[in-house]
Amino acid sequence: MNAIYALYDDPHVAQQAVDNLRAAGMTDADITVISSEPFDHFEFGHRDAKTAMPWIAVAAGVVGMLLSYYLLGASQRSWPLVTSGMPVVPMWTNLIIIFEMTMLAAIVATVITLLVTAGLPSRGGKLYDPEVSNGYILVGVENPADAAKLEPALAISGGRIKRTL
Amino acid sequence: MAAKHRWGMAVDIDKCTGCEACVTACHAENNIPTVGAGQAARGRAMHWIRVERYYEGDFPDVRVKFRPVLCQQCDNAPCEAVCPTYAAHQSEDGLNAQVYNRCIGTRYCANACMYNVRFFNFFNPEWPKPLQLQLNPDVSIREVGVMEKCTFCVQRIKAAKTEAKKENRELVDGALQPACAQACPTSAIVFGDLNDPESRVARLMKSPRGTKLLEDLGAEPKITYLQKQPWHESDSY
Amino acid sequence: MNRTATKYIADDLVRPLFQSSVWFYAIVLAAGSVVACGAAAWTYQIWNGIGVAGIRWPVFWAFYLVNFVFWIGISHAGTLISAILRLVDAEWRRPVTRCAEVITVFALMIGAMFPIIHLGRPWLAFWMFPYPSSREIWPNFRSPLAWDFFAINTYLTGSVLFLFLPMIPDLALVRDRSTGWRRKLYGALSFGWRGTTKQWNRLESAMQIMAIAILPVAVSVHTIVSFDFSMANVPMWHSTIFGPYFVAGAIFSGIAALIIAMAVLRKFLHLEKYLLPYHFENLGKLLLLMSVLWAYFVFNERLTTWYGNEPSEMAVFWATQRGRFAGFYWTMVTCNFVIPFIILSINRTRTIAGCVIASFAVLIGMWLERFLIIVPGLATKQLPYSWGNYGPRPVEMTIMAATFAAMILLYTLFSKFVPIISIWELKAGLPSRLDKATLTEASLMSTRLDELGPMPPEGQRP
Repeated sequence: MNAIYALYDDPHVAQQAVDNLRAAGMTDADITVISSEPFDHFEFGHRDAKTAMPWIAVAAGVVGMLLSYYLLGASQRSWPLVTSGMPVVPMWTNLIIIFEMTMLAAIVATVITLLVTAGLPSRGGKLYDPEVSNGYILVGVENPADAAKLEPALAISGGRIKRTL
Repeated sequence: MAAKHRWGMAVDIDKCTGCEACVTACHAENNIPTVGAGQAARGRAMHWIRVERYYEGDFPDVRVKFRPVLCQQCDNAPCEAVCPTYAAHQSEDGLNAQVYNRCIGTRYCANACMYNVRFFNFFNPEWPKPLQLQLNPDVSIREVGVMEKCTFCVQRIKAAKTEAKKENRELVDGALQPACAQACPTSAIVFGDLNDPESRVARLMKSPRGTKLLEDLGAEPKITYLQKQPWHESDSY
Repeated sequence: MNRTATKYIADDLVRPLFQSSVWFYAIVLAAGSVVACGAAAWTYQIWNGIGVAGIRWPVFWAFYLVNFVFWIGISHAGTLISAILRLVDAEWRRPVTRCAEVITVFALMIGAMFPIIHLGRPWLAFWMFPYPSSREIWPNFRSPLAWDFFAINTYLTGSVLFLFLPMIPDLALVRDRSTGWRRKLYGALSFGWRGTTKQWNRLESAMQIMAIAILPVAVSVHTIVSFDFSMANVPMWHSTIFGPYFVAGAIFSGIAALIIAMAVLRKFLHLEKYLLPYHFENLGKLLLLMSVLWAYFVFNERLTTWYGNEPSEMAVFWATQRGRFAGFYWTMVTCNFVIPFIILSINRTRTIAGCVIASFAVLIGMWLERFLIIVPGLATKQLPYSWGNYGPRPVEMTIMAATFAAMILLYTLFSKFVPIISIWELKAGLPSRLDKATLTEASLMSTRLDELGPMPPEGQRP
């Protein structure tokens, strides 16, 4: 995998590098930023923020709710036994289990969505530098058309430029 | 569709002498293990029917009252809904059925029972030879971890119903008796079908001497206790 | 200066994974032995029958249920601290969240053992699981024990995931710093995490949703545990206050357990720079609040019972206030209210040591509270002829000791394999990372790490 990237230790400098790459004609989808913390308060940390995850969680919750409602009713009707004079399908007590199953479905769906959209587990072969774990921020481009043209964009003070083949 | 039978009982406290023949008969009929002196001292004794003894008044005007307490076979039994495995449920005959095979021994039913008439097998019951010969073949043995209680001798009810069906007749009131009713020397325990308005128990249930145990708690027990109350006697306190 | 601080943090917090002191082995050995004794005791109980425990007619629930409620209660620590503080964006939560979430997961696992331990026929415990059985019967969903099954499993799943998700970036960090089998292990556990902005955004979205979802689950779990008691018509069980009362008590005991765990970690792993007196003060204030709330609930329950003067309830009431359980009752009040109130409301005594003393008192008090809810009620039901008493047997006490040892063992092992403080969350709270609006006095106090200066050379690090 061919890539050109630089490591910075200051998030402000990294932001500068990202802007430089944009000025050099790279789109947001081309630019990779890798760090060991989220950098919520910097613009480059927000690039991929839009997600449908909350809606997926709600939808999964609704699915869990309906599934448990029907399963509870069906299993209670399959062998109707009277206990303590309660109805065969008591709504009040069933609501408790329906609630738990709704929340469980939402939670599990959220985790699955995270794994899928974050590309986890990753099979490797992607751009990464272990220096990131020492606090550096990696800003780069994978498979650039013209790596030489991008080098000046990344050559800001405090950055170490690297290439991979 | 209304059930064919609704088994109930009337216990006459004024007739009860406290002899505990009912307790012994119940043990014999239902294969209830005797837990031994040590375990009984630790509160593990299992008497499906027990005779509670209460003293009233001060010396020398002490009176003793005996009250046989057994499973009240409640219509609104609090023990049934709390069992997670449906081991306790209401049968069609109005009995509170205990299915030994489904019991995993959470003991919640025993806590929920206000009458404390449910008993637990803390150990595997043992009948050293040759005592196992006395066991009633119509009643299953319960293993460790299983809850048990009075069933109104459901094995006798089942046998009587089978006989009646075979002979194509109705059940005769008084012919079918659980072990406790059969053994009682004063006939204080009367058993029968509450759905049959002519049966003794149905008539006794309407007696002015009749009360139910812990009736205000709403479990709707089917056992009526007959006891002469002070207001029945015009010249009493 | 920034990177020095962040690297220093990572070095400090990853060091326990690569270096073990004698204490680690000693604790694991000691705790492990007690756990082994507990396992032996449980085997003995299964082999010989549940009668080896002290339960009897009519006290059919005792130590095992007390411990069940106690441990499920402690599991509410993580949720409160982690989820609520995340949702309100309280900066001081950063070093505390993982400690708390770990308590939740392990306390839940331990607590969830007890519904199996207390069964008469534990080999049939799987009947609680709703599966299409050849017996054609399903669990009775009307039973509070069935609700327990669903609630605890949902909460356990949620808590494990809530713990694991923010662990992924830290596991990746450990992967990058290790070699050999460690690298393979942590590589697998971190799922190949890189830290792209997309991954960070998705992770934070997921954490936000989980925090919102896990809160009602946590409240419902201990409410449902309280339903185990309030659904039965036992005097002083059948109270409508049990739901909120138990949840408040759970959060109360959970915070106490968290304070103790944090104090121990601070001592043994040399985390003095990360777990500051400020954090303990905040948790101490929360503990004080919960103590007052607990007293409020107890007063509510006791006043209504005493005023109502219902005979079967008053029998239990007097048994606990003046009768055979009075010693336990007044010890509980002292431990849960008097001691914490005095220590935690005075600024000078609300130190780390003070908070730890108060927390130990609270744990004792809350255990006694669960005991006093369960046993006196069962011992003194409506019919006086069938009143009874209860005394624990060695089996129950061994298993109880083993659960405390299991908690210590699991926690120690966890801190050996995973950084006990969330490194990326701590770094994200550094003043240089925050915008002006979030830069408050509090956040400056919580992470004074930017002022650490350059890292000391290799040979001189503590």
